Amino acid sequence: MIGVIARQQLLACRRQNLAPVTVVVLGGFAVLAGILGWASHHTIIGIYDESVKLVTDRGQTAPPNPFLLKPTLSMLSNEMIYITVIGALVAIVVGHLAIASDATNGIGRLVFSRPIRRRDYTFGKLAATGTILGAGVAVSYLVSVAALTVVDRFPTGGDLVRLAGFYLFAWLYLMLFAVIGAVALLLLRRRSLGLLAAIGVWLTLTFALPQFTSGLRPSQSLNPIVDPVPINQTLFRITSHVRPYSIAEQFKEAAGRILATATPEPAADTWLRIAPIVVAFALLAALTWNLITRHDYSRSNPE
Amino acid sequence: MNSTSISRIRTLAAHEYRAAVRSRILLTLLGILAVATIASVYVASVAHRSQVADYRAYKDAASASGLDRIAPSNLAPMSLLRGAFEYLQIIGAVIAVSLGYLTVQRERTNRTLPLLRSRPVTAGEQATGGLLGAAALLATIVAITAITGVICIGVIGNDWVTPSELLQLALAYLVSIVYMTGFYALGVFCSVRSRHAVNGLIAALCVLVLFVLVTPQIGDTLDADNQIPGGLFKALGMNRADETTILNHFNVYETLRTRIEWISFSQHYQRFVFAMADVKERYRPLGLGGLMTKVWTDLAWVFAAPAALIALQRRAVRTQPTMQEGATS
Repeated sequence: MIGVIARQQLLACRRQNLAPVTVVVLGGFAVLAGILGWASHHTIIGIYDESVKLVTDRGQTAPPNPFLLKPTLSMLSNEMIYITVIGALVAIVVGHLAIASDATNGIGRLVFSRPIRRRDYTFGKLAATGTILGAGVAVSYLVSVAALTVVDRFPTGGDLVRLAGFYLFAWLYLMLFAVIGAVALLLLRRRSLGLLAAIGVWLTLTFALPQFTSGLRPSQSLNPIVDPVPINQTLFRITSHVRPYSIAEQFKEAAGRILATATPEPAADTWLRIAPIVVAFALLAALTWNLITRHDYSRSNPE
Repeated sequence: MNSTSISRIRTLAAHEYRAAVRSRILLTLLGILAVATIASVYVASVAHRSQVADYRAYKDAASASGLDRIAPSNLAPMSLLRGAFEYLQIIGAVIAVSLGYLTVQRERTNRTLPLLRSRPVTAGEQATGGLLGAAALLATIVAITAITGVICIGVIGNDWVTPSELLQLALAYLVSIVYMTGFYALGVFCSVRSRHAVNGLIAALCVLVLFVLVTPQIGDTLDADNQIPGGLFKALGMNRADETTILNHFNVYETLRTRIEWISFSQHYQRFVFAMADVKERYRPLGLGGLMTKVWTDLAWVFAAPAALIALQRRAVRTQPTMQEGATS
């Protein structure tokens, strides 16, 4: 039954063009990250060549190749920003629609006129959402591998594993926002309010919370390379306790460690950054199940 | 435009405003923006308060020792609103696009468009009425965040803005309403043009992310010196003069990089409001007239882009079918 519900949801998303749009958007931003990486790569090479010429003319020793200073996968640093920005927004819409369409067009009423368990219905919805977002993430993975191959060389086995780990983590992050979209609608019932509330959560987690916990302005939250912000105020001594739960920050920090583009740290510390995201997803998925169990599908969701 | 038409537009605008207020959207949006604004201004104000206290202590000490020429404070209280303006730039744009989507979605779900079209209301009046209603709603949001910001500077930062600074801020907030209204028009345009309004919302959000977040960020990302933590030129052992010499070989790249930033009207909005809010130190000594000569091109962009988006919105509303065949959401 889970498969039936999931297939029905996938079909609905395909008919609404939501599934192809999601894949194209996620893949498109991976292409953009690749292009930016390619452009910056060529510039660094060019600047290095010019600097070698400059110091050679002066009779000095040539500086070391900057690519020895730059981690291989750092070319994809922008991708983690795009996941937290556009990816999370798209995931909210996917999660929102997974619940909204059945409640609005009467399919929910029809479905529950049959002996279908709410648990199967919930897992079916989650499976369909996971498949759509998974397809987008898989396309992004392939695009990233292609970008690395074009710019430098085919990634090593280790890099491929790191990249796969990063995109698996990104998929989990997107699933979290998909369930946020679903829970917001189930709690508030009104579609418009549900969607806006979910977008509000995204804005809070992506921009407002990092400001409170780390003093990062919105524009700083968008930059993969950020200069440290002085956070010695009393406020930050208090709010820094919340930083482990600032999941957008933790996502970027953990993604940086998975891609080996950030300062290394013990694996346990990275797992501690990932844990809140896993726990949040598990709790919200359970809440989705609970809310679906109690949801009255005989009523349409008002606008 | 006769008085009957104006009356219909006013009615439609009031409906647009009321519909948003009734659905509790305004409160949700205001809550998000107000909390974010207070957070950003608080963080900045705490540091500012100690700087103001230091300056006052210095001034008192200097006066007590008989000095009659005391250096003026270089603190710019309005610059504490930098984060608040960044929130308007990002959250404000998201809010405006969402409002545009919800306007179309509401009409489709409630099937009010056929009813509206059965009345003597032209599509132009409908587009204008909706736009004015949304602009009024956005003006309310901006006004509340502006008052919140100014009060925070005074209460938390211990520094109140002067009347002339207030004028600059008023101009910045007025431009913010124009900027957000442009995004509302984008939300309506994309949603109307999509068979399923939600796909239009995604399209509008993509455009928003591209112009508000991605293109301005590309400038930073493509900056050669930002490619290595700590700076590429520092890593290569180059000084400032060497850096300039080397970058002369990359004129095309540098021009392209700045031009990409330049095509984002959101970036022009940011430059304008930052100039008005004294965020950039080089603009602080200038009066309003001097500022306007520096940022008039940015202002022109901020007006031109919403004007184009509003034209698109009007065209889309005029040509939208009364019944959406097969549309569900």
